Amino acid sequence: MQHSALTHGIIICQRCEKPASIEQDKQQCPRCGTRIHRRKQHSVAYTWALLLASMIMLVPANLLPIMTFKSLGKGDPATIMQGVLQLLEHDMLGIALVVLTASIIIPVMKIIGLIILLLTIQLGWTTNMRQKMLMYHFVEWIGRWSMLDIFVVAILAAIVQLGSLASVTGNTGATAFAAAVIFTMLAANCFDTRLIWDKHLEQLEVFP
Amino acid sequence: MRDRDLASTQPGKFWVCPECDLLMNRRAMPDRHEAHCPRCHSLIISSKHHSIEWTLALAIAGLILFLPANIFPILTLNTLGLSQSETIFLSVKALYDSQLYAVSALVLMSAIIVPLMKLLLMAYLSACLLFHKPAPLLAWAMRSYQQLDSWGMLEIYMLGILVSIVKLVDVADVTPGIGLYSLTGLIIVTLLTSTQLDKHRFWRRIEQLEKR
Ligand SMILES: [Zn+2]
Ligand SMILES: [Zn+2]
Repeated sequence: MQHSALTHGIIICQRCEKPASIEQDKQQCPRCGTRIHRRKQHSVAYTWALLLASMIMLVPANLLPIMTFKSLGKGDPATIMQGVLQLLEHDMLGIALVVLTASIIIPVMKIIGLIILLLTIQLGWTTNMRQKMLMYHFVEWIGRWSMLDIFVVAILAAIVQLGSLASVTGNTGATAFAAAVIFTMLAANCFDTRLIWDKHLEQLEVFP
Repeated sequence: MRDRDLASTQPGKFWVCPECDLLMNRRAMPDRHEAHCPRCHSLIISSKHHSIEWTLALAIAGLILFLPANIFPILTLNTLGLSQSETIFLSVKALYDSQLYAVSALVLMSAIIVPLMKLLLMAYLSACLLFHKPAPLLAWAMRSYQQLDSWGMLEIYMLGILVSIVKLVDVADVTPGIGLYSLTGLIIVTLLTSTQLDKHRFWRRIEQLEKR
């Protein structure tokens, strides 16, 4: 028989993981000073809101150009996808895959992963729990790597400043893309994995 | 019901999995051991050998590397007699000059300020813990370190450098500078610091010092 700490009147500080009694709910942790909550507050609503925000931001992030590479006065602003295609044209398959993965595949996978986790809570799914935890840890870990394209723009814009010969400037798509990445990172932070296990326990009690 | 009351009066006797809320009996953890949650398999505790000594040494090494990593050029581009160098701060400035103010602030935070803050906090914290010196703001320092942790993105910046080198390979001659080697060292040190940090031991020590 497996016990959830909450059903035994024990909660833990989210920051330093010190166990406390349920009476200390909404009070400050005596060890680190963080306010203790039995579960992250409004976890599902905040996660949905941030996910929606990031999905909305992904539209301009992919439609607007993020970078302009000008060589001898020629060169048009390019979107993320056009940047990947340019790499393919120059036979740089490996690096094209890295950029494609970090900029498009990871954000989309993160959003799908978090939606599955949110639906798990809201619809009370209780199967494949460990796979879902693995998925959460993966989403949480991989999220930051989407910043890759932003750093590439920053580095190229700094180094390719050769006046009329060649120059790189960043474009507004970068702002939308950075916002989308930040929103998904915050969404993953707001998600409380214990909520999927709470449902698991409820089901166990109903069907022992 | 009696079980519930008994447990909640002595919460310190238990471990709780922060990921799935499984309640476990507390047991002694020898150094260099890891405990995984039996239910969700998340890593609950990972006790390190000489954690405080290691994090202090690594934080100091990181602070020493931070300066050259930010001052010396990371990459230099040479073409037709022209040359242009890049440092992290210059890439922040380039975004600023492209009128991408928010993105430029984000890069400034994630590639310069957060990594530096993390090193300073960890150096202060582990020095105080190592010498058993009750000092102000210990809990604040640890809390801030944990909050900042995932917002330092030097290793992603490094991947950005590699991608940039490949992108420029057809266009111009790009040479790595002292900055790149220092940055590589800084990233290794930062990653080692987070693996050597035994957060439970740190929190227990902070608690002992603050009680004095
Ligand atoms: Zn706490
Ligand atoms: Zn667990």
